[in-house]
Amino acid sequence: MQARDAIGASGAIGTSPPRSLEAPSRRYGEKAIQGLLALCAIVSVATTTAIVVSLLIPTLSFFSEVPVGDFLFGTDWAPTFAPASFGVLPVVVGTLSTTLWGMLVAVPVGLLSAIYLSEYARPGVRRVVKPVIEVLAGIPTVAIGIFALIALSPAIGKVLPFMVKVPPFSAGVAGIAIGLMIVPIIASISDDAMRAVPGGLREAAYALGATRMKVATRVVFPAAISGVVASVVLATSRAIGETMVVLLAAGASPNLSLDPGSSVQTMTAFIGTTATGDIATGTITYDTIFAVGTLLFAMTLVMNVVAIRLVRRYREVYE
Amino acid sequence: MARHENRPETAREAAAGRASIAVRPEFRQGANAGAKEKMFEIENVTVSYDGQPAVKDISLDIFKNEVTALIGPSGCGKSTLIRCLNRMNDLILGAEVSGRLLYHGQDLYGPKVDPVQVRKMIGMVFQKPNPFPKSIFDNAAFGPRVLRMKDIEERVEKALRCAVLWDEVKDRLDQNAYEMSGGQQQRLCIARALAVDPDVILMDEPCSALDPIATGKIEDLMVTLKEEFSIVIVTHNMQQAARVSDRTAFLMVELDATERSRWGRLVEYDETEKIFTNPADSRTEDYVSGKVG
Repeated sequence: MQARDAIGASGAIGTSPPRSLEAPSRRYGEKAIQGLLALCAIVSVATTTAIVVSLLIPTLSFFSEVPVGDFLFGTDWAPTFAPASFGVLPVVVGTLSTTLWGMLVAVPVGLLSAIYLSEYARPGVRRVVKPVIEVLAGIPTVAIGIFALIALSPAIGKVLPFMVKVPPFSAGVAGIAIGLMIVPIIASISDDAMRAVPGGLREAAYALGATRMKVATRVVFPAAISGVVASVVLATSRAIGETMVVLLAAGASPNLSLDPGSSVQTMTAFIGTTATGDIATGTITYDTIFAVGTLLFAMTLVMNVVAIRLVRRYREVYE
Repeated sequence: MARHENRPETAREAAAGRASIAVRPEFRQGANAGAKEKMFEIENVTVSYDGQPAVKDISLDIFKNEVTALIGPSGCGKSTLIRCLNRMNDLILGAEVSGRLLYHGQDLYGPKVDPVQVRKMIGMVFQKPNPFPKSIFDNAAFGPRVLRMKDIEERVEKALRCAVLWDEVKDRLDQNAYEMSGGQQQRLCIARALAVDPDVILMDEPCSALDPIATGKIEDLMVTLKEEFSIVIVTHNMQQAARVSDRTAFLMVELDATERSRWGRLVEYDETEKIFTNPADSRTEDYVSGKVG
């Protein structure tokens, strides 16, 4: 205490008069940065809003001509023929079919890859394998579509003829190609989610005499379920929205069937083939594109909401 | 400065002359150990991570139905050593155990020994309570279910009773374990380990994340549990070792000549009372009296 007083008296430390507590400047730079950041965040929100609005306006005009019931429950899809028919079910089923076959490939392959990467692979192996898997996600979908049409379809048709009834087009083959394409999404995000599970939970299970597989399936996987479901939802959205692969490999004939061997037209493929530059605005064909787009948007939205609800209900929260 | 003035110096002075690192043979068992059944026989065990030794040349015997405490400063390898006893070190890449480690006379690291089988018999409780993010019941039932045991409900109840947790949780077994207090979580972790009927329970600083009241409960629990199980506990809390253990091993950090690498060495192992009142080694005396570490 005495020493401190001595220093204080000499004025060396701690006794200088208090400085101003007001900001030395108005900090315009900081405010500008804050504004810029907010603006960037608003861009996404504004884009989404603009898309929804631009989808809705022609959709409303479409429904002023075609009854909602005829559209949603009709089984004849011939919007560009005369007489036109606007039953959307065949293209919805086409989308469901390719998505279903895709997910049948992507979910098991993706999840098992994720379990391998996070629980079994040595760090050296993981360092190589994970980036290679992720590279697959970067391949342009048009390349995957051509691969499906030229390589996958003949190969699968030879081994399993029921998968390709109208060569080279097949909902099943297009689905498998989509599935391979979205494996990286599921594998990579699920792997991250499982690796984020605290090591203490694994140790606890090992210390009870659990094998590696039991630790992975009974502890790590359930604890990571929200991340796993998120990856599957994201992958499903990609599969539903995928256009190029189905345009090239699934054929173009609307077909109310889940048969993997048949040729189908999906909602996205319909939009892709119909929305060419020379289509006149305000025509019924023009409005149809938007009605299908709105339905596509609604389907992915509902799926997302349901998935979030499910995750909230079943997830295991660890801290 | 005043802290040490009243402390009797005689014991330390008596031991001051000796500085040999090697553990004398009689320390390996401690006194009066002849009649007790040996649970673990640890002989010249060295554990390395990526070639760097973490503990060197440890030899000691651990006895059935006793609480054995491993004490020592941070980095002395207490946790490394306890993790050898149920082969948890196998899960760490680059970990290597040399020397001999017998469990009821069988070599724990023998070529045909399956670490999964070892861990069924030698359970473990960790530093931070680590219940699974599941219900209280599912936590206690995890081991029995994984091991396909029968009578899950009875086992769960028995384990929770053993861990003196039953009365607190019997009406909310389906509640998530994370809704419990830290002390309850740790007792649930003990119950979870007990539910598979282990032979030994290893506890790696089980109270370091708990408050004194929760710590007291777990310490009481250890004393009752040793009737049925054998317990090995790592603790950096010397009072805890003094309160609960029958036998105490004191480990210390040793540096090589360049001071670049460090590892743990066993300094002294004896009955707890002797370690705390009349240790044979001056370094033990300095440590337990709070002079260093």
